[in-house]
Amino acid sequence: MTDGLIEIQNLSQRFGKVQAVRGLTLSVNRGEVFGFLGHNGAGKTTTVHMLTTLAPPSGGTARIAGHDITKDPLSVRRVIGYVPENVRLYDTLTTRENLMFFARLSGISAPERRVNETLEFLDSSHLIDRRVGEFSKGMRQRVGLAQAILHRPEVLFLDEPTSGLDPMGIKMLRDLIKRLNNDFGMTIFMNTHLISEIAKTCTSIGVLSQGTLVYHDTMESAVRKYGDDTSLEELYLSITPVTGQGEAA
Amino acid sequence: MSDHKAPISAIARKDISDAKRDRFILTITIFLVLAALASLLTGAIAMATDVATYNDAKATLLALGKNADTFAKPEFYPLRLLRGAIEQIEIIGAVLGILTGFRAAASERGRQTLALIMTRPVKQWQFLAGKLGAGAALLSAGLGVVFLLAALLLAATSGIGLSGNDLLRILIVWITSSFYATSFFLLAFISTLWMKRPANALLFSFIVWLLLVLVAPQIGDTLDPDNQVAGGVFKQLQVPKAEQNKIKASYATFETVRNDIEVSSITKHYERFTFAVLGIKDTYTGQPLGPILIEKSGDFFWIIFATIGLTGLMFSRRLKSNRLTKE
Repeated sequence: MTDGLIEIQNLSQRFGKVQAVRGLTLSVNRGEVFGFLGHNGAGKTTTVHMLTTLAPPSGGTARIAGHDITKDPLSVRRVIGYVPENVRLYDTLTTRENLMFFARLSGISAPERRVNETLEFLDSSHLIDRRVGEFSKGMRQRVGLAQAILHRPEVLFLDEPTSGLDPMGIKMLRDLIKRLNNDFGMTIFMNTHLISEIAKTCTSIGVLSQGTLVYHDTMESAVRKYGDDTSLEELYLSITPVTGQGEAA
Repeated sequence: MSDHKAPISAIARKDISDAKRDRFILTITIFLVLAALASLLTGAIAMATDVATYNDAKATLLALGKNADTFAKPEFYPLRLLRGAIEQIEIIGAVLGILTGFRAAASERGRQTLALIMTRPVKQWQFLAGKLGAGAALLSAGLGVVFLLAALLLAATSGIGLSGNDLLRILIVWITSSFYATSFFLLAFISTLWMKRPANALLFSFIVWLLLVLVAPQIGDTLDPDNQVAGGVFKQLQVPKAEQNKIKASYATFETVRNDIEVSSITKHYERFTFAVLGIKDTYTGQPLGPILIEKSGDFFWIIFATIGLTGLMFSRRLKSNRLTKE
């Protein structure tokens, strides 16, 4: 193993006859924005579920900031934040109530102050006393992001964060990811099937196909080797077989 | 607050705030309160009329200069008027428990918030304990409103005040009702967390509700020969108690089967216990509370142990990751 913040060693997940993730070995260093690229059903969400301790792996393990996901899940949860795809939160509660709830769950000592600071950071203070049920997809995504960073995690997992967002929402989220990385030094692990997202946001890239990691490199190196964004797309299509899509979660 | 209790309290508080703003749960609770009070009101008005008639007759006697002591005071048992309220709780209270339990699990799955909670430093048992605490508190509060309003209505309309003993009986019945409704909460909550599709869990819960609340007690009652004639066969034929027991002994197997069907239902235990405590069943009307509690402790503990058993079942199984979303 190397000395990365996220160290994944031979991680596997099997659902009945379907092998969703096959012996994944990967390292993500502190401060990276890692783009995890793959077809729908390639095993990206399954991998994130294992790394966020939501699902125990069938085989292998991973360490996040030195904590083993299978042996010490509670310590892992203290250093991670997670935003699932299409996060909805509690519609009947206000932004403040939603965030206070997650702040209390995270054991933050001055939750009210942290909630205010976080919303301010996200330029969303005006949403604080509005019910989440009234929000657009983009506003929900911002509150979803707020709940994930309240406790200032070392690693932030984002599962298809731009899914369903309009171009303005996508740009805003992209900027936020960069600011989280710059201002708080958060390491970002981002699942996506959009190559354009990887190219504009990430510092390193991994490509998953049918549960297997088929490519892993820094963004700089990938661009150097393969040229501009269009070539990156060609790279992706050339290394990921089209068959077998949709087998895994 | 200790580290263990903080997440439980946070989850319970959030669930209570969330559920209080849920119009559907609020509507069912209001419906239960109104149904219980409506059934009580008619009986209370009838009792008030009887009390007024007695008081008028007594006043007439006194006005005529006659001794009213010879005119025996009839006994009024206002708690018997709670029969309708208990029957509403048996049915609608159980439905409220199911809907609250289903909501507690399905809403987290549908919104993906279950995944968010389980990526916080929260142990599974703390999540479940918070949910159970909120569910039990909500149901107890709803039933508390039913019994509080019922007590006030009884005191205001029946013309008979409630004694401290009456209030104690209502308190015991309220606690028992809370456990009864919580058992249905647990049934729906567990199945909604475990089953692949929450909608199937709701269907399953209502099938169990149908069997336990409506079918089993009804079969038991229908098979009871004493229920075939209004007031009871034995009473109508004026058969003495000793003779009744002799007759019943000839049908021991039938009676065992009939009783087993009845006691398979938590609803029947609830009914037997509450009818006895409130003196609704003739045998227990006007009887002191202590002996009733001793005699009916089996029914009470059946409800308690059913709830504890379901709680144990809830804590015994690990949440599956593919149950973190609605599908």
